[in-house]
Amino acid sequence: MDATERIKAASNFLLQSPPGEINDVLNDIRNIISDDDLLQEGIQPVLRRYNIEQFTVVDVPETNHQSIISEAARVGSSSGEEERFLDPRSKISFVFDHLSLEASDPQPFEADAEQESFRAALETAALNYLKAHFIDGVAAVFSSKEGANRYVIQVVANKYNPTNYWSGRWRSEYVVDLTANEVVGKILINVHYYEQGNVQLNANHAVSFNIPPAIASSVANTASSKIFALIEDEEGKYQVSLNETYQEMGEKTFKGLRRALPLTRQKLDWDKVMGYRLGAELSGNRGPFPTT
Amino acid sequence: MGDVIDSMLDLMRRLPPTRTQENVAALVGICPEDADELLQSVDQPLQVMVDRATGREYLACDYNRDGESYRSPWSNEYDPPLDDGAVPSSKMRKLEIQANEAFDTYREMYYEGGVSSVYLWDPEEPSGGGNFAGVVVLKKTMTPATPYEPSGSWDSIHVFETMERGRQAHYKLTSTVMLHLLTRKGSESDGKPSADTKGPESWKRNGELSLSGSMTRQTEQDWPLQETSSHIGNIGKMIEEMEIKMRNLLQEVYFGKTRDIVYDLRSVGDLEKARRQKELQKELVGFIKRP
Repeated sequence: MDATERIKAASNFLLQSPPGEINDVLNDIRNIISDDDLLQEGIQPVLRRYNIEQFTVVDVPETNHQSIISEAARVGSSSGEEERFLDPRSKISFVFDHLSLEASDPQPFEADAEQESFRAALETAALNYLKAHFIDGVAAVFSSKEGANRYVIQVVANKYNPTNYWSGRWRSEYVVDLTANEVVGKILINVHYYEQGNVQLNANHAVSFNIPPAIASSVANTASSKIFALIEDEEGKYQVSLNETYQEMGEKTFKGLRRALPLTRQKLDWDKVMGYRLGAELSGNRGPFPTT
Repeated sequence: MGDVIDSMLDLMRRLPPTRTQENVAALVGICPEDADELLQSVDQPLQVMVDRATGREYLACDYNRDGESYRSPWSNEYDPPLDDGAVPSSKMRKLEIQANEAFDTYREMYYEGGVSSVYLWDPEEPSGGGNFAGVVVLKKTMTPATPYEPSGSWDSIHVFETMERGRQAHYKLTSTVMLHLLTRKGSESDGKPSADTKGPESWKRNGELSLSGSMTRQTEQDWPLQETSSHIGNIGKMIEEMEIKMRNLLQEVYFGKTRDIVYDLRSVGDLEKARRQKELQKELVGFIKRP
């Protein structure tokens, strides 16, 4: 494999990192590739992509809250300039180091005044929702770069427990479009359990719904909390429905693949298994292998 | 930094089990010199092959591979054919035939379908006596008839070593079970507009949940040995016990642990309400205690 192919393979591994394990994966890759110069140069874009896709959490400078690194958080920088990310809550933009996960060079950001009041209302509702349902969650609400009257809500919750060999991540994103009166969202869950094994849960759920006219026509605060009531209901129902999916998988698929015990409800009598075969062989009724 | 092979194994323990084959192939590409050790240490899904002579299905894995060919336990032939492919001694082959028969019964009793194969290999030294080794592999796949039916696969790989000690035999067993489960759901999946009685009519949903992975366990046991064929019953009992244990373990991890972790991320109940209730309760207790 030449250098380009090795970087491509390494990038592929990095993008598959389970929640909270990208440093472990990177460490393994360093040892396998054993060419730090090549790696350092090659993997920057993929670390950036991973952080953006995974809603990486960042401590916002000059505040004591966290925000989310994502496509929605990227603020338009003219080419040549260093890429910046926005914390819409504090209206601070910053430079993000994709390896150390640290923010630097905070600068005030001027928000679009027309969008800001509804965005702020959604943000208040988002933070209330976060407190009510997420244990270690971070939420951010962005004015969409793709047009007026569009907002992007993002939520991420991580739990890393390497001592007990597990980690988990919940991500949700909802695009609220007040022109089309529509909400399009998705929930992504990843769980890794790796005590003497490697078991992963990957779940995704896409949802879309129209904003009822009664909600669309109310004032920003009311509309925002009502939109979040719908999201809360949907996420709650989805989470409960996971139990049903688990049950169905346990009863249909798991049992169908391998029984807990044979139909006789007893373990095999191995002497009989052997004896039966031997007897059949001796009496010449069957060849060594049945043809059916 | 440790061995490259250790890093590879650590990496495989972290990357998604659904992409094991692709990732192993990439690692082999990066470090061809470690390929053999890697392929021996990482269990990959078993491949179903059809014996050209008998038409019966068997399982291909690293243990019945010679170059690019795989040996069938039914006809003892390699596919693609090999003139000088490694085969067991006639004594070992006889035991292998019996073992395949026995585990075929075991497979039918527990899997009610699927495919099983047993491969044995002679002791490395001729003086090794009865100290042979082998592998028992089992696989069952459930393919859904419609996209919204759950699907899955189970692969068992049991590698064992035997050491004869007079009228006793000592066995070392390493078992890996790979289990993949997948369920798809959509607004159309159950025919009716998905159980949304109070919400707006416009709701659309679809999604997918996959649980996949592998677990490995080891055990060592002694069993009495009357004759050579006693090995099959002894190994059979050990594998049966191990699969029952591992099935329980998988059930616990797949359906218990991963679910608990999801609930550690998000709570269905309102945490803020619960917090307020607790505070209120504290206040009341303080109020009542007051003289």
